[in-house]
Amino acid sequence: MTTALEQELKEMIIESLELEDVTPEDIDPEEPLFVEGLGLDSIDALELGLALQKRYGITLESDGEASREHFANLKSLAALVEARRVK
Amino acid sequence: MTELFLHDWRAWTPRRQVPDETRLDSAAKPVGSSVPAMLRRRLNLVGRAVCDMLPALDPQANRVVLHASRHGDGDRTLELLYTLAEHDPISPARFGLSVHNAIVGVYSIASDSRRSQQAIAASGAEWAALTIEARGYLADGENEVLVVFADQPVPARFADYAPETESAAVALRLGSRPAPGARRLHVTADQTVTAVQPPQPLDVIDWLMSGHTALACPMTHRRWQLDAPV
Repeated sequence: MTTALEQELKEMIIESLELEDVTPEDIDPEEPLFVEGLGLDSIDALELGLALQKRYGITLESDGEASREHFANLKSLAALVEARRVK
Repeated sequence: MTELFLHDWRAWTPRRQVPDETRLDSAAKPVGSSVPAMLRRRLNLVGRAVCDMLPALDPQANRVVLHASRHGDGDRTLELLYTLAEHDPISPARFGLSVHNAIVGVYSIASDSRRSQQAIAASGAEWAALTIEARGYLADGENEVLVVFADQPVPARFADYAPETESAAVALRLGSRPAPGARRLHVTADQTVTAVQPPQPLDVIDWLMSGHTALACPMTHRRWQLDAPV
């Protein structure tokens, strides 16, 4: 069951990363976003960080390990947004 | 001096339709099938074309690549400038793909090529620069090199400062020795070459297909001519 926030994040990912042939249904909330699963790369991670900042006012710390956990999959990304959003 | 031979070529431009010419792709949007979809999404039309042509000329991806473009990706660069003017943070992906070696960079990742790559801009003397660089690599012991010349229309905002440019990309495999079907590439100095416009990728494509005319560069006072196939 996809929550409204997860749906919103799926659309943000597709739009900000210009994923030509990906639909929201293709993104499994439990699957890895990076490398395996959706197959995003390090440039996408930077782009996603920028999108989170613009849309939700979230500034990620430069700690790579924490970011890795936040960006693990759509569920962890939604948890990050819920906990830290300021807009 | 090291001689140049044209071993093979490929080209892309929607501006020319020549049904008999299998080396020319006239599609509005090149397929870019050699690049995985997740990498391909970042390529512009010229980039997709280049990533179609290079594997056709060098399936093993073990040749040095020289890539020239007079203007590069003007659209992405201009978008970055607009963003900076608004004091907004710039897109890392757009920045990454706005640099002059972006297309060959994506090609090297997709083809797993570890060979040297060079990105060239020469204010209208790109073709001359490519042949000089190619000669250098061949003199240094390479059997063949790949040279690419590609451009797209400059954004309207820059139109007053740049000649009109058509979307076109051409890739050639050059060697220093004759091979079956290869054509010797002659270069001659000619001080009278001044009136013509600097050659663009589309001019190189027309020259390759015409078989007999010369290609001229006013900035370097040079002419290039192709012999009949060996």
